[in-house]
Amino acid sequence: MSDLYLSRVRNWFLSSPPAEWVLSQLHEVFIGSLKQGPIPRHVAFIMDGNRRYAKSHKIETIEGHHLGFEALAGMLEVCFKCGVEVVTIYAFSVENFNRPQYEVDGLMQLAKLKMEQLVQHGSLLERYGAGVRVLGQRELLSPDVLEVFDRVARLTKDNNNHILNICFPYTSRAEITSAVRSTIEEYTTTPRPHNTPFSQSRIAQKIQAKQGNKTESLSSVREASPPPPSPRSDDPDGSVSSSATLYQEDSPKSGTPTPQVTIYPNAENITAETIDSHMYTAGCPPLDLYIRTSGVERLSDFMLWQCHQDTQIFFLKCLWPEFGLWDFLPVLVEWQWRQKQKEREKPSQRVKQA
Amino acid sequence: MAFSKRYLETYRRDEMVGHKLLTPEERVRLLKPYLPSPPPRASKRADSKTREKKLRLGLRHFLKKQLYLLIYSIIHTVFSLYMKIRQAYHAVTNRFNSIYYHHHRTPELIQGDVKGLTRLPDHISVILTLEDEGRGGAGLERLINEAADIAAWCASAGIPMLSIYEKTGILKGYVPETHRAVSQKLAAYFGPQFPSLSVEGPHIPVIESHVSSRAGQAGDGSSKHLSILLLSAEDGRDSIVDLTKTLTEMSQRFKVAPADICIEVVDTELREIVMGEPDLLVLFSPHVELAGYPPWQVRLTEIFHVQDNRG
Repeated sequence: MSDLYLSRVRNWFLSSPPAEWVLSQLHEVFIGSLKQGPIPRHVAFIMDGNRRYAKSHKIETIEGHHLGFEALAGMLEVCFKCGVEVVTIYAFSVENFNRPQYEVDGLMQLAKLKMEQLVQHGSLLERYGAGVRVLGQRELLSPDVLEVFDRVARLTKDNNNHILNICFPYTSRAEITSAVRSTIEEYTTTPRPHNTPFSQSRIAQKIQAKQGNKTESLSSVREASPPPPSPRSDDPDGSVSSSATLYQEDSPKSGTPTPQVTIYPNAENITAETIDSHMYTAGCPPLDLYIRTSGVERLSDFMLWQCHQDTQIFFLKCLWPEFGLWDFLPVLVEWQWRQKQKEREKPSQRVKQA
Repeated sequence: MAFSKRYLETYRRDEMVGHKLLTPEERVRLLKPYLPSPPPRASKRADSKTREKKLRLGLRHFLKKQLYLLIYSIIHTVFSLYMKIRQAYHAVTNRFNSIYYHHHRTPELIQGDVKGLTRLPDHISVILTLEDEGRGGAGLERLINEAADIAAWCASAGIPMLSIYEKTGILKGYVPETHRAVSQKLAAYFGPQFPSLSVEGPHIPVIESHVSSRAGQAGDGSSKHLSILLLSAEDGRDSIVDLTKTLTEMSQRFKVAPADICIEVVDTELREIVMGEPDLLVLFSPHVELAGYPPWQVRLTEIFHVQDNRG
């Protein structure tokens, strides 16, 4: 009983105007101070623990999500005031569709409502250069939700100072797969800019003319200039033989004015950066800080491609609705501390090598 | 405590009725104290009249900045002191634990340790780091030694699959040596009837245990088997890039349509070439950083790390 009483007194005290004023001033001072050091450019959050919070406080699950949204709003305030450029949040996983229908509907309604509100504040968003992007498998969303999301994304597509990426329905594997797919599409639809003055048909004709008397020279020519349809010769299917057949197929056609050969960009030019540019997060700075709340130490299919290199990952014990500035500050300070250590290590390594 | 009580109350009352209580303008007014100061573009109205005022503001700004810098350095001094203490504390407790719970190279003790667990992972993965690069010898030896210790532990605990990730891939160049070291370690743990062992890696032929036949003769050696998979940074992103290249070439020759490429295709290929999903990933670094570990496979892997651990 006295415990309850004490917590009530504490709450009353903390919500009294002077205490609130002091706290908000402290808040400002801490943010201003941390801004003096390095600040992560891109932060990702897994907002886990809304349901557990609701359960432990004996409120409806959806209420937990609403409180989670309030925590998110507070977090966004802190992040953007600190100067973080991009915040990516895991709002809804494709797996979450397996949850009870009413919860899924509730989450959809929540997202829709908040987005609709955002639309009303276009000028405010523009003043701060705040953009909202929705990442994920859009085809899984119902049309009315999708329409609102699109409206927000369209409204803010030119605002680049601060970006909020909302992953809604998202899984990282789907993202990687779609990036792979669109890379392939890029490499199979856009022909290579081909501006060599040599005419392939003429060369083919010349060679064909020579074919009668000199067979040895022909083979050497063929080896020196592999025919265009197969850009790679060390291919498991043995493109040497296929190119030879293709060549022979082509040669009778070479009498006609333009033999239609499509030349694709060389697949060997694909690098990690190419795939990177096809990710949902293309154009965002590399992920610096990855935070998961609620004590579960798993990545749960979120930002795998982005976080597996030198992102610092933090697993926190607190549930998402409880997550506030005072949980975030230590993480940020530790991040800054490690970042400084890395900086210190780098020059020393260089000295060692020299 | 980011939002004041009055704000939260108004916000929640508004939310209860589906945000119909407040007009957008009222909402902005309510939100005003939480908005950061607008970017300079908006406040670019430089009047000659307000220059004096600006000067004073500049001074205030300067003082504010000095205060922030001071607090920043205080925070970081305190924090690094805290980190040093925390690291020392963890170093001492880890040392104590490693002595107190030392397994004395007896598989029975390790088995006893894991007996209480209801479920054992089938596939454990570890991330090792090569230390003091450049000097080669010592770092490599240490790495192989660590790998052998972990492998022996896994064999004792009854975990059939171990994958060892090391960023530079130096272990891949020393597969026979690794195999020999692990075999010796297993022999030291188990005595003559140690489990059979295979060491492999993506693009590396399997090295099977020579002694497996001898163990087979002994009777029960065949029941236990440990396979070790050596991974490096090239099995992460690069394997996905290579897969994309192959698929692109196939697609350019119309052997596969881009629309056919789905998660299952990528998953089976990567599973075939690299590995499946590990159940548990153990980090030995002081903080969680994946250092290029294969991204596709860590999807649902439980990540275990010991805070401030060193080596």
